[in-house]
Amino acid sequence: MNADTVKIKLFGRIDSNNAAETEEKIFAQIPGAETQSVVFDASELEYISSAGLRVILRLKKTCPDVSITGVNSEVYEILDMTGFTEMLTVEKAYRVVSVEGCEEIGRGANGTIYRIDRDNVVKVYNNADALADIQHEREVAKLALILGIPTAISYDVVKVGETYGSVFELLNARSFSKIIAAEPEKLDWCVGEYVRMLKTIHGTVVPEGKLPDMRETAISWARFMLDYLPEAAGKKLLAMVEAIPRDDHMIHGDYHTKNLELQNDEVLIIDMDTLAVGNPIFELASMYNSYVGFYDVDREAIKKFQGYDYDTAQAFWHKTLAAYLGTNCKAKLREVEDKAAVIGYMRLVRRTIRRGGAETEKGRAELECWRVKLLELLDRTDSLVFSFNELEIEAVPENLDDVQAFVGERLEAAECPMKAQMQISVAVEEIFVNIASNAYAPDKGSATVRVEVSGDPVTVTITFVDRGVPYDPLAKEDPDVTLSAEERGIGGLGIFMTKKIMDDVAYEYRDGKNILTLKKNI
Amino acid sequence: MGISLKIDLHMHTTVSDGTDTPEEIVARVREAGINVFSVTDHDAVKACRIIPALVGEGLFYVTGAEFSTRDEAGKYHILGYGFDPDSAPIRELTETGHGNRMKKVRARLDFLKEEFGFVFPENEIEKLLAQDNPGKPHIGNLMVKYGYAETKRKAIEEYINRRHFASEYIRPEYAIERILAGGGVPVLAHPTYGDGDQLILGEEMEGRLKKLAGFGLQGVECFYSGFSPRMTRDMLAFAERFGFYVTAGSDYHGANKMVVLGDTGLDLADETPERLKSFLERCGLRLS
Repeated sequence: MNADTVKIKLFGRIDSNNAAETEEKIFAQIPGAETQSVVFDASELEYISSAGLRVILRLKKTCPDVSITGVNSEVYEILDMTGFTEMLTVEKAYRVVSVEGCEEIGRGANGTIYRIDRDNVVKVYNNADALADIQHEREVAKLALILGIPTAISYDVVKVGETYGSVFELLNARSFSKIIAAEPEKLDWCVGEYVRMLKTIHGTVVPEGKLPDMRETAISWARFMLDYLPEAAGKKLLAMVEAIPRDDHMIHGDYHTKNLELQNDEVLIIDMDTLAVGNPIFELASMYNSYVGFYDVDREAIKKFQGYDYDTAQAFWHKTLAAYLGTNCKAKLREVEDKAAVIGYMRLVRRTIRRGGAETEKGRAELECWRVKLLELLDRTDSLVFSFNELEIEAVPENLDDVQAFVGERLEAAECPMKAQMQISVAVEEIFVNIASNAYAPDKGSATVRVEVSGDPVTVTITFVDRGVPYDPLAKEDPDVTLSAEERGIGGLGIFMTKKIMDDVAYEYRDGKNILTLKKNI
Repeated sequence: MGISLKIDLHMHTTVSDGTDTPEEIVARVREAGINVFSVTDHDAVKACRIIPALVGEGLFYVTGAEFSTRDEAGKYHILGYGFDPDSAPIRELTETGHGNRMKKVRARLDFLKEEFGFVFPENEIEKLLAQDNPGKPHIGNLMVKYGYAETKRKAIEEYINRRHFASEYIRPEYAIERILAGGGVPVLAHPTYGDGDQLILGEEMEGRLKKLAGFGLQGVECFYSGFSPRMTRDMLAFAERFGFYVTAGSDYHGANKMVVLGDTGLDLADETPERLKSFLERCGLRLS
């Protein structure tokens, strides 16, 4: 506010009885006119009639910069209906709401949500200067709604104690946390709806620049971690986070069962302030923390927050992951969970350090637990990217069953005939055992198996990738099957059978990787 | 069209509750650079007989008056334009309106005498009643003059307003019908504000306009000193829907109200609306 600003307080009612008098008083307080700016404090103005509006209009004609603050809702409505909000800066007064004794229905990174009556909830922000945050959340929620995500938009900003809150209409809604806690038999139904909403969010492309990029945030976390991890582990983590490709699809950022509400028959997602764009692994990471990571040390704590117990949370999380990935293959589930956990633990460690958690006993215990878990995970994880049709697994012979299960599940899903499935499984065994035995010996390493089903007629393509010693299995001469078993050299029969079973087999060595592609027309 | 129009079709003189005489107001209109104007005193057409002789080159004048009307649903100020002030229907209309006002002034004077013992010399009462349209402000001035109140405002608030007198009002359909019969164009004044201090919007406005259109209303005052741009926009949309003429007026009252002559908000419009041009043509202004 500059020195030329005149501040005038308005009281009571301004109507035809006192408009002329009010006008005289107002103009008497404005010495120079023209260049002045006038701020009306309307916090004690109860009502304004059209005669009062005309007083303000006349002032506006001589003084271009007029604003009104602390406007009550009745006066605001009049100013809005008559187009005065288009002409002047009008700031509403904030209704005062108390959340004392109100039921807490959600808690997120930036605030806590309380139900204030049957039809309304208020999100109270932690930050005292939350008006910008409230505006941000309103904007992103609107954006999400426009993009087709069912959510609630706040309709009012209120004052709650020293901070602010935004009010939403949630008609008699129940959170998924409550449903799961009260009616365990509905767990599977909740998983289904939860995953459906998650897929809708992850399937939504966000116009560039509208939401923050989660990848950049995660890179900054990984940089932070360099000081708290052994050098090699820190560098590996940063490299893996940086290798996650940019993605313009939406992620919610705090997707747990308290933020999903069932209103009548409609599922709504709330608490939108963490909305971002990014690879879905970032979402899975925050979900992992919500059900697993956060409660590693204190398993009882989840009951206080979600209302259901740790075992229920584990069941919910694993069923969710399986439904989301469309697989029951344990190896696949473990692979994605590991990747999510890497980012999840990175976040938990950073958060605890940043919040001075190392100064409390519980904080130290958690920090140690999470740091150890992170280091273990970093040891066995080479990439944080996952694909629905790819399995990344340690290349050891014991894992053959997992690989077979994963490939079999994909082929089954593609309605591949039984005979072809069995033939393909013979080829998969040959190739995987070959990699497991030779690629990294005597060390260990991982292999990736990708299954693609495409085209008409249908072609199944299975690709094996490993980072072991360069080795082209096709270069080996085919065995002479006309000779008797005793007369043949050892080995080579597996590859021979694979070539026979499949319609095309190709090998290449690229970017330090052995890539073997098998194709079969069905 | 060679010259640009500056229009103000709504102002008051001493014939009603304004403070400028008809002669003064013509001079002010000229000073303000207004070239199309009308004077619209309340329920009186005396200025319509004086002004034509004062209007010289470069000024276009439209006869006018503003009639206070009322029915069961509310109050309406109906402007009449371009009528013949000496026609029988207009005489009848102003006499009814004037008669109603006089009755009310007499009742107020009686009340002040009985209740507070305020008395005024006979000649002052005669002068008051001889005025074209005496009302509360005139009585208030008299009270100040004779020491019964410090200011006109206090006179009105503390004494005159102590009793409310039900008036005999002209009904809108009667005013509209008489204006039409007198060769004039009936126009609803400051529609959004009703008779002054109301706020009529949306469906309520639509209901009013539908009813008045049924009585023969032909125009609405879309540009008005007290309107926000949004109110003007909304009224223009109504004019379009009902096929009404559009007018523009400041409601200047001289020193009685803080309204600047010529302030109609029309300067904010990109160009003169077609419905305003056709109104002026209807009133005899040749625009091409």
